[in-house]
Amino acid sequence: MSVEGSAITAAERELANLLVEVLNLEGRDSASIDPAAPLFSEQGGGWGLDSIDALEIALALQQKYGVVLRSEDEATRRAFASLRALGEYVRQHAPALTQG
Amino acid sequence: MNPLPLITGYRPQAPLLFAAQGLLSQARFLGQAMALARTLPQAGFVLNLCESRHAFLLGFAAALLRGQASLLPPNKTPATVAAIRARYPDSYVLCDREQSDLGGMAGAVVVPLDLDGEDWARAPPAIAAEQIAALPFTSGSTGEPLPHAKSWGGLVLHAGLLSSRLGFDGAHLAATVPPQHTYGLETTVLAALAGGAVSHCARPFFPQDLGTVLEALPAPRLLITTPVHLHALVQARLRMPPLAGIVSATAPLSIELAAAAEDWLGAPLHEIYGSTESGAVATRRTTAGELWLPLPGVSVSADEEGALAAGPHLEQAVRLADLVETGADGRLRLLGRSGDMLKVAGKRMSLAELNHRLLAIPGVEDGVVFLPTADGAAGIVRPAALVVAPTLSEQQILDLLRQSVDPAFLPRPLRRVARLPRNELGKLPRAALQELMRA
Repeated sequence: MSVEGSAITAAERELANLLVEVLNLEGRDSASIDPAAPLFSEQGGGWGLDSIDALEIALALQQKYGVVLRSEDEATRRAFASLRALGEYVRQHAPALTQG
Repeated sequence: MNPLPLITGYRPQAPLLFAAQGLLSQARFLGQAMALARTLPQAGFVLNLCESRHAFLLGFAAALLRGQASLLPPNKTPATVAAIRARYPDSYVLCDREQSDLGGMAGAVVVPLDLDGEDWARAPPAIAAEQIAALPFTSGSTGEPLPHAKSWGGLVLHAGLLSSRLGFDGAHLAATVPPQHTYGLETTVLAALAGGAVSHCARPFFPQDLGTVLEALPAPRLLITTPVHLHALVQARLRMPPLAGIVSATAPLSIELAAAAEDWLGAPLHEIYGSTESGAVATRRTTAGELWLPLPGVSVSADEEGALAAGPHLEQAVRLADLVETGADGRLRLLGRSGDMLKVAGKRMSLAELNHRLLAIPGVEDGVVFLPTADGAAGIVRPAALVVAPTLSEQQILDLLRQSVDPAFLPRPLRRVARLPRNELGKLPRAALQELMRA
């Protein structure tokens, strides 16, 4: 699957919908999301999430995809950089997303 | 008062910490702390930002050995670090890794964690009881950090009281709370130095992390945590090794969550009541009833303004933020925040009760009623509310609330929001509430 620029993939949209749902981000329209925007900053169209959100995201990923996050893991730090990075992490750890 | 040893009930070969390399003995810890103390700069205060409990404990102990007081910030944002440094020019920053994202870090000292060191071969060094050991901060009414001085003698005495109540002696602790917070300081730092406990150095965050940390620890294991982490842990349904107990503080815990946590983790859960100013004051087994049992020798008395806590660890009585009712047996019932009693036209209702009524509405997932800062001309402050209720309109919520609340106390405005601005301990900073209300 190859993606040009910041166009959002179907898998990323599914993940964005999950985040909007579990974090109650009603104001955020998953159609206009830049998948490269940072999750934990409000700069550059970022989501402005915090550590409590990280707990909720981890829980949702575990329940939906069976993906487990560990904070000591450098890969987790990278996964939380953006929606795209998170999607990539999930894709590598749970094949269910790309089939969906 | 006589000086008190850096480690109470010193047993050189008994463990004090579960470090990255495994169990670390009290003697080896003292050897490392002495080595670090020799390298610290000359100053009156040290701003200890260490994330690893091993580094924090070494920094805290080394500062005591050098007669330096540890400044413990409420958070690690660049603004907070800069404000505390500006207030304490005679200070330096201690951290355990390169933290380039923090402001005001010039000249920061990094605690080396690969130090091996030698066992301390003599009796543990003694520290003057009246020496100021720690200065945790609360956010003042205008948002600037307010320090609260804790003497070494008071902290050691208090650690003994808390340890006897919660069974810290000989227990292995896994904690999701930072050592800079008073709750974390008492339950994971002082518990190790003066309560006979062994603290794990990591601060596990995700439920999976907690599983890893608990599995590394020998029994008996105690989990030191908060309602936010307990909620995630219960939801995640991950298998945890057997626990001897669970401790929760920082925010009120619902009986439902307490029961679910006890059920899933198979251990009794004790909740701590206290404040940064007073330290832990009382505890309760949340599933066994609403009354709190004060720590041994600690008393809480109600007066016309609210309540005062007194105890052997406090030089003078400390005012608590809550209204309490004291029973004949000394047990306490909390009646809500004392600054939060609403009085309108001879009617009274506490914000706590109003909050309770709001949260009891079916469809309300989260919510808070609070008193905004007065800026109205009339000087009358009405309670305001922020509510998370995806399926209800603001009007519907008000209509439902009116069924159980006198119209004089109905929140105005009541604003529906996507979520509440909870901080990493699950608390709701007042400034964030005001900001969200204005938005």
